[in-house]
Amino acid sequence: MAYNILVVDDSAVVRAVIKKTLTLAGIDVGQIFNAENGQVGLDIAATEWIDLIFADINMPIMGGIEMVERMSEEGLLSTIPIIIVSTEGSATRIAELKKKGVAAYVRKPFTPESIREVVTQVMGD
Amino acid sequence: MDAERIELIENVFCDVFENLAFMFGEPISKDVFEANGNEHTHAHISFEGARTGDVVLIVPDDMCPEIAANVLGVDPDDEQVDELAGDALKEMINIICGRLLTDLESKDLVFDLSVPEIKNINSEEWSVWLKKEGSLGFIVDEYSVILYLHMED
Repeated sequence: MAYNILVVDDSAVVRAVIKKTLTLAGIDVGQIFNAENGQVGLDIAATEWIDLIFADINMPIMGGIEMVERMSEEGLLSTIPIIIVSTEGSATRIAELKKKGVAAYVRKPFTPESIREVVTQVMGD
Repeated sequence: MDAERIELIENVFCDVFENLAFMFGEPISKDVFEANGNEHTHAHISFEGARTGDVVLIVPDDMCPEIAANVLGVDPDDEQVDELAGDALKEMINIICGRLLTDLESKDLVFDLSVPEIKNINSEEWSVWLKKEGSLGFIVDEYSVILYLHMED
């Protein structure tokens, strides 16, 4: 099954690297949507069919944590799995994110193997 | 800074450059460190939370497109490279800062990182940064790079 994936990150470099890494990881990707902050991510998720979201934490306008909180309050949006991709390695912060409904966490820099592993874990084989 | 802390910082710096940009760095004494040219890009990120402080990364302007090409995995002549050169450096300092905080401090502590910013500086400003306590010098693929870390007690 091809997944429609939304990548939410203020860095165009990271968005490009995630897109490339998904391909290298052998993930069957349908459409890729890009958002430069959480607000744009919410708008896209509300209007497009999205199977999976990769999101950063620190972004201007709306960060990843606020986006996750807003999605958890929105019926259909709350069912979309979110994988946080961040530089932060705090075990406390990761536990907080999981409590808020984040499906998984990947630390930068990531590899095709780590992306494949987390997508398989979240979406199943 | 004590020797153990310096070694940790050096390891994080070299590891991030190697894993993100496939560029190989080594620490070098500031006494024999020289700037490449007169134009440098200064990247800055601050953090707050369990500790407060700043990280600064200074690279020669010529190095930025090379970092971007390597991070993106494209040819240096690719049209994206110039456009994304600054963005790639911001991502580099973002990752270095995140790694430094968890490797130097505790994995249980929570930090909030700012959005990275970049600006151009000249060689005089480069020399001022090099002399600061908390700055370290590295050679990365023949480029001179300064990493500065400041943490408030």
